[in-house]
Amino acid sequence: MRTYKKTIEVPKTPREAFNPDRLASSLLRSQALHLHEALKWHVARATAVLATNPKTLRTEREISKYCKEVTAILHPHAVKGPGK
Amino acid sequence: MPAGLDNLKHIVVLMMENRSFDHMLGGLTKQNPKINGLTGAANESNPDPNGTIVKAQPIAKFQGDYHQDPDHHFPGVDIQIYGGVPPTTANRQPNMQGFIKSYFTQTNDANKAHAVMNYFDPKDLPVLTQLATEYAVFNGWCASIPGPTICNRAFAHYGTSFGQVSMDFFYLLDPILSIYERMIKNGCTSKLYYYDQQSSTMEIVNLLQNQPQLFGTFEQFLSDCENNELPQYSFVEPCYNDHSGDDGGAILASDQHPDHDVREGERLIATVYDAIRQVDDLWKSTALLIVYDEHGGLYDHVIPPSCTPGGYTANADATGIGIPFAFDRLGIRVPAILVSPWIPRGTVVPGPEDQANGRVFEHASIPATVTNQFIPNFDQNNKRTDREKQAQTFLDLLTDQMRPDDDCIFFNL
Repeated sequence: MRTYKKTIEVPKTPREAFNPDRLASSLLRSQALHLHEALKWHVARATAVLATNPKTLRTEREISKYCKEVTAILHPHAVKGPGK
Repeated sequence: MPAGLDNLKHIVVLMMENRSFDHMLGGLTKQNPKINGLTGAANESNPDPNGTIVKAQPIAKFQGDYHQDPDHHFPGVDIQIYGGVPPTTANRQPNMQGFIKSYFTQTNDANKAHAVMNYFDPKDLPVLTQLATEYAVFNGWCASIPGPTICNRAFAHYGTSFGQVSMDFFYLLDPILSIYERMIKNGCTSKLYYYDQQSSTMEIVNLLQNQPQLFGTFEQFLSDCENNELPQYSFVEPCYNDHSGDDGGAILASDQHPDHDVREGERLIATVYDAIRQVDDLWKSTALLIVYDEHGGLYDHVIPPSCTPGGYTANADATGIGIPFAFDRLGIRVPAILVSPWIPRGTVVPGPEDQANGRVFEHASIPATVTNQFIPNFDQNNKRTDREKQAQTFLDLLTDQMRPDDDCIFFNL
């Protein structure tokens, strides 16, 4: 394995930082609205997903679930994301 | 042409979220007085609603300071820049005295509102501060608009927000192409890498128009680095929300948007840097720009300078402050760092504090730089705003001298 002369240690983020039930920021709520707008372009093949009203989404868990559903339709070419 | 520019094949931009220059890098001034951060001077302060003068202090927490997201929409930023003096007041002057006043309207608690004055001790941000001191840090990189994320990110993609100062969705009615479309139409390669499907992208319009060739995930970015297959221009988006991965594992937001844990953003920045750093051919042929989209309502002491308007005006209804905005003033200063082995250690690019040699950058500098580098004849088509045409470009920071491998840092994650 390659070694480096000047290395900097990067602290790990504590597990307690993970909070998908945190209230979503205005950015994330806007992102959901924008994705909703984009989804209209695909309405013919996405009627089931369109039934969700993004204005009712409150938490990051809910927003992330919505993002996944919409993005899977808009961009089906993506690979699965890494877990931890 | 300097050898660093002659060798350049790739530009990578990693755009983080919502932190001001002083908040993240202001503490570096004590190490290097050329960095225009915080010196401890009395005027690095804001009044609170009780009249108490609150100084900026190096006590920012990784998470927990901002349970309520500090306002960074147009009216809130107007308060922050002008100290709450109403927009209709004759000859009002910007003074950067309204950060606590603005946040107090959300918290109704003076002590909680003080938190927008907090900044990080440099030792708490080993990745960002090491990169800032090892490569080039910009004293004068500002958000493009004194407003929120979407319109500011639009400047990074198009060199304009098409008259928007808000988070509203916009349709492209102008002939101005995104930097990605310009690249592809001119036979170049470009990609937007979003983190994963749960995080998705903030660049919705291109998601509509240019899939699948333009988009990839962060996993693909890492793979493209490893295989030395990066496109000429890459734009990397952080993870915007906490969510579970497909395997059930916890994936933390890495965008550093308040109140996401700043350490996870540090890890993302280090991961992007290391991915480029450890492939020799990529390392010597890539310029990596790490920049934040806007200040997120957090204190910065530098008054945003005026700028070339760019042909649009947001009306009074759109700004929400009772007067129109002609896009003639930049937003608040944000951290920006350019990384390349062709940049001498400790480079500080002077900003507005240097009246003779200072340079002001903003997000329109990104498409301006990428276009000039990879599509030098593009202006013949005249499809750029005056704002972008006037924007400073940053590749002149690459020199003739490549630093030895042992002289460049590596992060242990």
